[in-house]
Amino acid sequence: MNGVRLHKVPSKASRWGRTLGEWPAALFFLLPTVAVLGTFNFYPALYSLYLSLFEWNGLSPTREFVGLANYARLLASGEFWNSLRVTLLYAGGVTLLALALGLGVAVLLNQPIRGQAVYRVLYFLPVITPTVASGVVWKYLFDPTQGVVNRGLVGVGLEGPSWLSDPSWALVAVVVVGVWKRVGFNMVVYLAALQGIPKTYYEAAQLDGADSWQQFRYITLPLLAPTTFFLVVTALIDAFQVFDLVYVMTSGGPLGSTDVLGYYLYRQGFRYSELGFASAVAYVMFALIFLVTVIQFRLTRGGQGDA
Amino acid sequence: MKAHWLKTIVTTAVVLLGLSTAQKLTFWHYWDGANGQVLQGLIERYQKEHPGVTIEAVFVPGGELLTKLQTAITARQTPTMAISDLVAMPLLTRSGALAPLDDYIRQSNLNLTDYFPGPLVYGLYQGKRYSLPVSASNLGLFWNKNLFRAAGLDPNRPPRNWDELLRFAKQVKEKTGKWGLELFTQGGEGTTWQTQVYFWGAGAEFLNANNTAPAFNSPQGVRALQFLVDLVQKEKVAPVAPWGLFGRGEAAMVMDGSWMTQFFPQQVSFELGAAPFPFAPGGRPATNMGGEQIFIFQSADAATAKAAWDFINWFSSTPVQVEWDRGTGFLPVRRSVANDPAYRAWVSNARPLMRPFVDSMAFAKPRPPVARYPQISDIFAKYVQEALLGRLSPKEALERAAQEVAPLLR
Repeated sequence: MNGVRLHKVPSKASRWGRTLGEWPAALFFLLPTVAVLGTFNFYPALYSLYLSLFEWNGLSPTREFVGLANYARLLASGEFWNSLRVTLLYAGGVTLLALALGLGVAVLLNQPIRGQAVYRVLYFLPVITPTVASGVVWKYLFDPTQGVVNRGLVGVGLEGPSWLSDPSWALVAVVVVGVWKRVGFNMVVYLAALQGIPKTYYEAAQLDGADSWQQFRYITLPLLAPTTFFLVVTALIDAFQVFDLVYVMTSGGPLGSTDVLGYYLYRQGFRYSELGFASAVAYVMFALIFLVTVIQFRLTRGGQGDA
Repeated sequence: MKAHWLKTIVTTAVVLLGLSTAQKLTFWHYWDGANGQVLQGLIERYQKEHPGVTIEAVFVPGGELLTKLQTAITARQTPTMAISDLVAMPLLTRSGALAPLDDYIRQSNLNLTDYFPGPLVYGLYQGKRYSLPVSASNLGLFWNKNLFRAAGLDPNRPPRNWDELLRFAKQVKEKTGKWGLELFTQGGEGTTWQTQVYFWGAGAEFLNANNTAPAFNSPQGVRALQFLVDLVQKEKVAPVAPWGLFGRGEAAMVMDGSWMTQFFPQQVSFELGAAPFPFAPGGRPATNMGGEQIFIFQSADAATAKAAWDFINWFSSTPVQVEWDRGTGFLPVRRSVANDPAYRAWVSNARPLMRPFVDSMAFAKPRPPVARYPQISDIFAKYVQEALLGRLSPKEALERAAQEVAPLLR
């Protein structure tokens, strides 16, 4: 098997030799992409790294070089650590809950039930609904006196909290919306994976006398592991960058209880005009997401995560 | 046929000549809808009266104007003139990109003492004036006359001080079960600028006289915050809840802006009253203030800058400001406008709810014009929330806020 494969791959020398003559043409075709990416992605990203070494309000003619002082200030700031904690709670909450719910819904929808297609569309709808629009609607739903959520709770004899005004509940409310938006995506990916599991495994298990829970536990779950892994990593990266939902629903409040890193960065850069400091925040965020990605690469290389 | 051709050629030549000697001014602003139309109307009239001057007004959405100005200043591609929300003025005056207006003001004999003192604070930096106020808004009390009636209160008598405010609020809560007063408890500048009105009304200051240290943690400040905390925690006449109770008829009184004299009547289904906001017994009348300032960029050459100033001077003149304020519903920045018979008649007939707001301009206070105001405001609001939620005593909350604010003023 390996031998056959190796045979097909050209040797290093011939690969370089063949492409050397094609370099000018390749460059020519790459130019538009390189120019666009360079101007709008790489240059701003590197410039932001440079800016993170300065104190600058975006308007003053002079920028004061402060070295790593912005990073030092960041690490000494209670607000930053609060923000990091809130981000981890949000990311962890959304990732785990949306994973469990997405799998549950996918398993249910994998059964032959009536109106299956309709349910799939319904569960997927939140994924394609613009975040800002959903945030505004959920804000109404969470209104303590007028909102559907608390009215429903009253219906079952409970008194709901003042969701978005209560520091102990605001993050819960935002996580609920984050999960609501994520479940549909997880469901679709899980459904595809479920349908890729050969029926014969289950038939064999049934012959051995496995009940449906055992089939799920010992066949479905292990075979979904690569998918689960993929979903966890993408969900984490996604959740680390959350901004719009928080901006619309709580503006980071009350008392910083929903002040995720994305919002913290926005506050520093665009409300406080602290462009240097905000750039430092951006790079710390980048480092965190980079870390998650590296872990993903390490683990997928070792395992069979090809999803 | 020949005459027709000649006419075309002559007209074209005149137009071309006109263009070559014309002053073209660019003006960035964020006045949209009806306000933008009033501005456009005034500009067209100014151009007609001043042939050779073209003013190209460029609308930039409010939230983007400061960012766009930042970009323009860094790229040295500034317009001739622009407006800004007064909160951003400290950043702009320190940018070195604005042209000082003092010489123009002197040459044009523009009488600055005719301006209300509050808005004038913002254009000053290191003894020079870089901008002039062109519009204002402020905060006052709105009350729901139907709820007052239902509570057995005189529907035409607003509370005049905090004792009455509390008494009326309690009576509303007792008799109708509705909230007495709505506070903005959602944090940020919304909470800060409303809370400042209570602080000033109790005789407290926000920062010290030269804006180098916090002053809100004074005994008067503690008293003001204690009053708010009592409304929520002890008397339970105001909730910590999302904004909008008053508009839905769930709270009898609210502090809101002069612009709502235009919007509330279209939105609410009850009879409205408006009054200057009540202040503490032994305190002083006070309100907070918003608005726009106009300025010229340093990059303009002398002739262009002069042409821009001539427009600003004309726009700031009493008759034009009367027209501007009537068209937009902005509050006057000049006493001569507030006292103008035509303006007063318009307020009485068209916008009677606005009267108390116009009167409040005399004691409207500026938020401190410091560059880091947005951060200071967020910190202050956070500790006000801590106190309102009963997590910190007012004194402790203000002390902690002062500790966090102090380094930002150094």
